Amino acid sequence: MTPALLSATGLRYRYPEQQEPALQGVDMSLARGEALGLLGPNGSGKSTLLSLLLGLRAPQGGSIARHGAPVVAWVPQEYAFYPQMTCLENLRFFVSMLGLPAAEAGVRVEGVVAACQLEEFTGRQARHCSGGVRRRLNIAIALLQKPDVLLLDEPTVGVDPQSRAFLLDQVRQLVQHGTAVVYATHYMEEVAGVCKRILLLDHGKVLADGDLQTLLRGDGDDGGFDTLEALFMHYTHRSLRE
Amino acid sequence: MTNRARQVLRIARKEWLLLLRNPHGLVVLFLMPAAFILVMSFALKNTLSSASVPLPATGWVVEDGGRIAATWSGDWIGRHGGQRFETRDALREALRERRVQAGVVVLPQWLDDQGAPRADRVELWLSNRVQPSSAGRLRADIGISLLQARVNIAAARAGPFASVLLDSSNNNGAIGSPTTRYLYEIDSGRKMTAVQQSVPAWLIFGMFFVVIPIAGVLIQERNDGTLTRIATFGVRPAAVLAGKLVAFMGLNGIQLLCMLLVGRWLVPALGGDALYLDLHFGWFALMVFVTSAAAVGLALLIAAWTRNFEHAAALGGGANVLLAALAGIMVPRPLMPPGMQAVSEASPMGWALDGMQVVFLGSPDAAQVLPKALLLAGFALACLALAWRGIRRG
Repeated sequence: MTPALLSATGLRYRYPEQQEPALQGVDMSLARGEALGLLGPNGSGKSTLLSLLLGLRAPQGGSIARHGAPVVAWVPQEYAFYPQMTCLENLRFFVSMLGLPAAEAGVRVEGVVAACQLEEFTGRQARHCSGGVRRRLNIAIALLQKPDVLLLDEPTVGVDPQSRAFLLDQVRQLVQHGTAVVYATHYMEEVAGVCKRILLLDHGKVLADGDLQTLLRGDGDDGGFDTLEALFMHYTHRSLRE
Repeated sequence: MTNRARQVLRIARKEWLLLLRNPHGLVVLFLMPAAFILVMSFALKNTLSSASVPLPATGWVVEDGGRIAATWSGDWIGRHGGQRFETRDALREALRERRVQAGVVVLPQWLDDQGAPRADRVELWLSNRVQPSSAGRLRADIGISLLQARVNIAAARAGPFASVLLDSSNNNGAIGSPTTRYLYEIDSGRKMTAVQQSVPAWLIFGMFFVVIPIAGVLIQERNDGTLTRIATFGVRPAAVLAGKLVAFMGLNGIQLLCMLLVGRWLVPALGGDALYLDLHFGWFALMVFVTSAAAVGLALLIAAWTRNFEHAAALGGGANVLLAALAGIMVPRPLMPPGMQAVSEASPMGWALDGMQVVFLGSPDAAQVLPKALLLAGFALACLALAWRGIRRG
């Protein structure tokens, strides 16, 4: 079995202003070159789990172990860059935060521009780029860190099918090259196309964790599921969330 | 240079880049205070000057039919100029049409039982636009002239010898205006002018308006998750704050240069007084530094604790206007009553204005400048500490 890069045990977290805990004893692990689909309805605890894995919040219970000091990068759902700056200015700004020698920083910027096919947009202010280009820039900024673990939070919201296909291909390539990926989304077909494993959360608890095909086949009681969406609805039920 | 210092400078550079692409922010920071300096340097020109102000154009209505009233008003018009009107209505019409700015109405029975002129039988009418200093001068001049007439009448009755001694033509020097000097003029030997008051006042106002661009960027960074993303690149909130502090304190420095240029060259080019610039560099630099730190600190505090730009702009803009009104920036302190002057000394812009005016107008020393500088530095540190908490809170 591939050793885990990142593992969490019994994670608990409750926001000060909320009664219900956001996470109630979540266990998970992630190995190099593994793609984990993180699923759950709104408010299920996905974003809280990502922020704990990133180290932006400290768990109030349980622990997170990072093996071999992996670099963890994040692609947020929002366009987390400066729309008034050009794509290249954004990339140069973020790479300068890493404290790399100038030559190395330049190589990294060139690398992510090529990987995300941003060449023709480098001189354009991000606010004047299409949604698809902005999504690619959002991922490119995270890739500047050369991450061992990449956490993607709804990375394809609001893009056309071509851009979505490109982004999914890019994630697959990253996984093939050994990057561990956590892919949080509401689009089941994306998870099915990218991830071999899923972690299904609701009300801060893990409802299902395992190989996607195994979960779809179901155990004796479940009788199997035709689609990932059917599996999702089975575990989380149909009641509407906030 | 350490990696942290490089991060701070890169963040400062990014802030400048964003500011250069925000023309509205630049207008607020540069054009607004420059326009205020220009306007107020001319608007307050006579109000703050200790030099003799001109008498307003004055119309006379003499309702007293006596010879003395006719002679007295004729003498006055002969010395200062003026226009006679037959009736009050004609005078009122002239005031409305701005042909005259003030009027003197000599009422019937102007002389008392002893044949001396009475002040309570003279009315002074003022147009709505006459400057208070001009009106004050007219009031004083009419008062002196009445007193002179009383003395002359008394002297005429006393005999020819006294009459010669009290001849009005010999008394002009004795009863003229004394030389008036503000304390800054006594300290520095320079004339107090409106531009000398306006440049530091509106410079401070402009410096505190960094709240608009700072809030615009910081709130966008927080709401888009860019601040969180920067944190995932290993940048601490203190470095983010420091980068913004460096960027906007540098910007305050450029504002300072521009406002000095406006006061030194633009105002005199348009006919106003020129700003004196023989400043003591050390005290000047200290006051600029602590004022800038206080302005950027307050802006970061407001930006860090407000949820959206509209909220921050309303709160920041409103707070700045209120602080400026309290501090004597909008209404100069000499025009405030003593109670309001005391209140104005308890506001950050008031501390900045006190310290800057000492530097700009007089000969500063530690006892005058240091207390204000320390108050501003304490205010800046308190704001920055609270802003740091706000940014960490996310």
